[in-house]
Amino acid sequence: MTKKINKRDIGKLLTQWNQEFAIFVPSKEGDTTKMTSWDGKDVSFLDWYRNTVIPPKASFFPPLEEMFHFQKNKGSYDLELPASDGQKKLIFGIRPCDAKALAILDMIFKDAYEDPYYLSKRENTVLVGLGCTNPYDSCFCTSLGSNPSDSANVDIMLTDIGDQFLMEAITDKGKSLIANTSGLDDATEADEARAKEAQETSYRKVTKRVDTKDIEERLLSCFEDQDYWEKVTAKCISCGICTFLCPTCYCFDINDELVKRQGVRFRSWDSCALPIYTKMPMENPREEKWQRVRQKVCHKYEFYPMNFDVIACTGCGRCIRQCPVNWDITQILASLPVKV
Amino acid sequence: MPVIDISHRKKFLAKGNVYLPHIVVIEKIIDETPTVRTFHFNFKDEKLRKEFTFESGQFAEFSVFGIGEAPFCISSSPTRSGHLEFAVQRVGRVTNALHRLGVGAEIGCRGPYGNSFPLDFLQSKNLVFIAGGIGLAPLRALIWNVIDNRDKYKNIDIIYGARSPADLCFRYDLDSWNKDKTVNIVTTVDKGDESWTGREGFVPQVLEQVAPSATKAVAIVCGPPIMIRFTFPVLEKLGFTPKQVITTLEKRMKCGIGKCGRCNIGNLYVCRDGPVFSYAQIKNFISSEY
Ligand code: SF4
Ligand code: SF4
Ligand code: FES
Repeated sequence: MTKKINKRDIGKLLTQWNQEFAIFVPSKEGDTTKMTSWDGKDVSFLDWYRNTVIPPKASFFPPLEEMFHFQKNKGSYDLELPASDGQKKLIFGIRPCDAKALAILDMIFKDAYEDPYYLSKRENTVLVGLGCTNPYDSCFCTSLGSNPSDSANVDIMLTDIGDQFLMEAITDKGKSLIANTSGLDDATEADEARAKEAQETSYRKVTKRVDTKDIEERLLSCFEDQDYWEKVTAKCISCGICTFLCPTCYCFDINDELVKRQGVRFRSWDSCALPIYTKMPMENPREEKWQRVRQKVCHKYEFYPMNFDVIACTGCGRCIRQCPVNWDITQILASLPVKV
Repeated sequence: MPVIDISHRKKFLAKGNVYLPHIVVIEKIIDETPTVRTFHFNFKDEKLRKEFTFESGQFAEFSVFGIGEAPFCISSSPTRSGHLEFAVQRVGRVTNALHRLGVGAEIGCRGPYGNSFPLDFLQSKNLVFIAGGIGLAPLRALIWNVIDNRDKYKNIDIIYGARSPADLCFRYDLDSWNKDKTVNIVTTVDKGDESWTGREGFVPQVLEQVAPSATKAVAIVCGPPIMIRFTFPVLEKLGFTPKQVITTLEKRMKCGIGKCGRCNIGNLYVCRDGPVFSYAQIKNFISSEY
């Protein structure tokens, strides 16, 4: 069931979907870009959007989120979970790498104990992917089993074929949504051929590479090489940007606020780049910067694969683009002093 | 792929929202040392009092509402019902707030979390317990369990140390174990005072002097990281293989369920895969990350 839609009709399509879903589209907000609630008309993102600075994980795992609130009565406490808005959501234009990041996050949030906050939002959301035609120099998704047109982790996939988007339903969710959508044309064989060509062109535009062969063993073999880690992390200023903006980073902190008798427990993004993250009253196992950056790299390329059989990096390149001191994870991975 | 045994990892079945604590009530407070207190507590909900079960070695997240949450091992033994216990050293925000509470105060508790001591593996073995300071808290949850099933285990050695005589926790336990003829206990302090007539010396040194045999034995170690780091080599010297050494670890924790990320040692999470580990599991990473 492959369809197509004229680019100038995207506004109409979103209006139609808006009846059932809250729609989120790439938006500019101050100096940054992220997925925000659609205003009902603006589709100019089709012209400027390459990828958002703030990853779509923020829609499922917000930077700050209430876990429950409580009321103090004398010495007793009544706890209450936040009301769910129950609203169905649709994210329009998510990039393949970021959709893959959500699939990676699903594993940790489902593991052992289910995380109700993340999973309830995830279940309520339809992902409409948009293939990349203009990847950044810092993108390296093709080294991690994905590519700029990868439809593996979305419900509906769009491919730019000139004046139109080819529209494929990938999951059952996507199929039923397309079946209930009016104003779509059937794609022809020629359209599909054009899409294939566009996808091949995009694929060739991703030129940055990492070699992931035996990466777990290679990282393990130089885990204790302090000189190496110190050298390659010397310029890092421990700002945490590369983790906050990473679409697969999920670390969080939990804190309480109590004003008068009303309290709230909330969680907020945290980062292994910050010393307080592991600080205990008497000791800190990752006091030194090189230990923390090593944790970031090893978590993505060694530990997460050991636990979930997938590298927790999609090659989205955000950590390279946004780092204030031009630290580059691909250079680290390429220069490991492997001892075999 | 590096081989690390994670077969003990458990699949938990949680009902409802795992982050939502139960209300428990403090029933008794014992001053162990100037900075350590034991709290006896019970669930406010009658049904939970009956339903709640745990195993020696597991921990829970306790919260003072409005201040925050922190993990503590359950320091009582599941063989002794009626109430539950946890011990708190006053070191930070949450622990200070806990120390300010009195009997009758309500706090939050969610758990039990983590794995537990491998009772099957310990059966019919000689057990060598090595603890420092408040590190005795998780071990006493096991020691009482073992004593309550005494015929299942062979010799019991306990080596317990603290910085000074005033820092020895659970003296009432030390007294009963001293009286128990089936238990060999050695207590030591780093530095004694005028009234101290017992041993002096750090736990790893005393362990070397006591030199328990490694034959058919398992060492169970808990204490500050520095003590653990120096104890492993001594045990190796005494002939204990990494599989014969079990430890329960402490890290900064928040979620307690393997999500928030901070308590890892390599690919293992102290909250989810531990807190009980064999030395064999963690020795690749322990030198520089613990
Ligand atoms: S973004 Fe760059 S400077 Fe900031 S923590 Fe990451 S590597 Fe270090
Ligand atoms: S580590 Fe960097 S390239 Fe990999 S997913 Fe995170 S931000 Fe993207
Ligand atoms: S305490 Fe959150 S992962 Fe262990």
